[in-house]
Amino acid sequence: MLGNLGKNLTKTMKKLAGMPIIDEEVVKEVVKDIQRALIQSDVNIKLVFKLSKTIEERALKEEPPKGITPREYIITIVYEELVNLVGSKAEEVEVNAKPYRIMFVGLQGSGKTTTIGKLTRYLQKKGFRPAIVSTDTWRPAAYEQLRQLTESMDVPLYGDPENKDALDLAKKGIEQFKKNDIVIIDTAGRHKEEQDLLNEMEQLSAIVNPNEVMLVIDGTIGQQAREQALAFNKATDVGSIVITKLDGSAKGGGALSAVSEIGAPIKFIGTGERIDDFEAFDPERFISRLLGMGDIKTLLEKA
Amino acid sequence: SGMFSFVTKKTISEKDIDDILFELEMSLLESDVAMEVAEKIINSVKEDLVGRKIRRRSDVAEFTRDALKKAISEILGVETKDLKEMADKAQKSGEPLKIMFVGINGTGKTTTIAKVATYFINEGYTPVIAAADTFRAGAIEQITHHADNIGVKIIKHKKGADPAAVAYDAVEHAKAKGKEIVLIDTAGRMQTNVNLMDEMKKIKRVVKPDLIIYVGDSLTGNDAVEQASKFDEAVGVDGIVLTKADADAKGGAALSIGYVINKPILFLGVGQSYEDIMEFKPEWMVDQLV
Ligand SMILES: Nc1nc2c(ncn2[C@@H]2O[C@H](COP(=O)(O)OP(=O)(O)OP(=O)(O)O)[C@@H](O)[C@H]2O)c(=O)[nH]1
Ligand SMILES: Nc1nc2c(ncn2[C@@H]2O[C@H](COP(=O)(O)OP(=O)(O)OP(=O)(O)O)[C@@H](O)[C@H]2O)c(=O)[nH]1
Ligand SMILES: [Mg+2]
Ligand SMILES: [Mg+2]
Repeated sequence: MLGNLGKNLTKTMKKLAGMPIIDEEVVKEVVKDIQRALIQSDVNIKLVFKLSKTIEERALKEEPPKGITPREYIITIVYEELVNLVGSKAEEVEVNAKPYRIMFVGLQGSGKTTTIGKLTRYLQKKGFRPAIVSTDTWRPAAYEQLRQLTESMDVPLYGDPENKDALDLAKKGIEQFKKNDIVIIDTAGRHKEEQDLLNEMEQLSAIVNPNEVMLVIDGTIGQQAREQALAFNKATDVGSIVITKLDGSAKGGGALSAVSEIGAPIKFIGTGERIDDFEAFDPERFISRLLGMGDIKTLLEKA
Repeated sequence: SGMFSFVTKKTISEKDIDDILFELEMSLLESDVAMEVAEKIINSVKEDLVGRKIRRRSDVAEFTRDALKKAISEILGVETKDLKEMADKAQKSGEPLKIMFVGINGTGKTTTIAKVATYFINEGYTPVIAAADTFRAGAIEQITHHADNIGVKIIKHKKGADPAAVAYDAVEHAKAKGKEIVLIDTAGRMQTNVNLMDEMKKIKRVVKPDLIIYVGDSLTGNDAVEQASKFDEAVGVDGIVLTKADADAKGGAALSIGYVINKPILFLGVGQSYEDIMEFKPEWMVDQLV
């Protein structure tokens, strides 16, 4: 049932293939299919309508370049509009300060702590020497989780399960790792209705003074992604985004909506629970998945 | 038909309700009801209404809204289960009530177990917890902390041990000590991961739980349908807990999951503390959605 949308879209696209010119009715039909695909992928409803309006206008107004069929041209437009939102290539973590401080934030259970393990391994492979500070005083065994995640990695870790003051932990951790290349700070999960915790995050940010705040977004989240991301961005300036749990069947459209709202680039995706299930963000693959179209790349290459 | 017939009778046509149905469908989608489910609901409302006679044209919108409320109430209004009754019944038969918690990663299974244990303690029962997530880093320590905080016995093995064996031991412990309830924590897993889904089936085969509770995150979008149906197919879900309802989610996931599994939503998780659990009231959710 769910896979059908992608198929519908492909079907409409095939129908288009035979058409010499793009007429309004056909464009409307294609745009409707694209809307459905995007909504099913959890893209914010308002963003879907905004996007589809632009796509419709462009498809009707612009002249496809020579040798390109209308169908291929519409795909190109859709792709361009989505790339406009997420960027055309993955941005790196640019380590331009010492220590370079990365603070992780996000909703409860989104995957912050696991992702810190993954990013640490990733940065080590690039030759850096990161250290980690645990400031999660809420979740039982948060420190122990980090310790076990990183025990095979030879990475310095600061935390104290007895200390229930997150700000104090942050202060001491930052002090301890002054000489490291990179310091990664784990924080407790929180959401936009927990004002105390958002205040705590703001204070943490003031102490850590992060070079980059990474917002971790669960790939399975729906329409709430936008509001939640806005609240995080208000409390601290979000610098980049990681989308987790893309090894399931969710499409990550919620995360896309967050990106469009706060403008921070998606840098990585999580594709499993293990340390190596971690990839640099690939816009093309992400957009193919969002639209439920198997191989957008070959189509684009033709166009 | 007399000259006043327009006052007394009007037949609802598709055209009359198209706009309002579109509007309602959009609001369902914005509340995170999965598109597949939203469409089914809207279609059933349409079928219900088209051809019906009404008195005044101005009634159409209200009529439609009521029909939608009814459709949603039907999905959420599945007969609920009385956990206390189940525990008493199990005890009379000399067996503990065995409840297993399942779901994808990070939805709140472990926290929910601590809350449900607290609920049972408050009702005068003595639960025991099985630390059968032997996979995730820190999982055993996390649930051990919870168990210690609320004063519940925990049965655990080493990290990496067979989860079915842990659950089995917890049941044996409950039998030996006359405890009424066994709460089994399991590792989070993606519904697409065949090996892990098989491992979960094995735990079920070994312990034969009386109740399998699916723990879903209320912030989930369209994937809720796929997640819930795969877990239900694999082990057969008997009840649902929806967590993180305090995060301002509109609750559409409740409808998606309820629709797919067709089992009652037992509790809502509304925070991170042990008392942050509420019995689910369908009316409350219907009002939230329409
Ligand atoms: N399948 C899958 N699971 C993931 C991924 N990333 C994280 N997880 C799992 O998601 C669950 C939650 O991850 P955590 O790292 O504890 O999340 P968190 O954001 O630190 O949680 P809190 O600290 O409680 O807010 C765990 O079961 C992780 O193993 C991923 O990319 N894929
Ligand atoms: N705000 C809020 N947070 C919750 C709720 N339920 C759980 N959490 C938080 O969500 C995070 C993950 O909860 P866990 O209980 O570890 O989730 P889990 O499903 O056991 O995770 P895995 O075992 O890794 O799959 C923790 O930070 C919890 O405190 C809830 O109802 N409201
Ligand atoms: Mg964490
Ligand atoms: Mg757990």
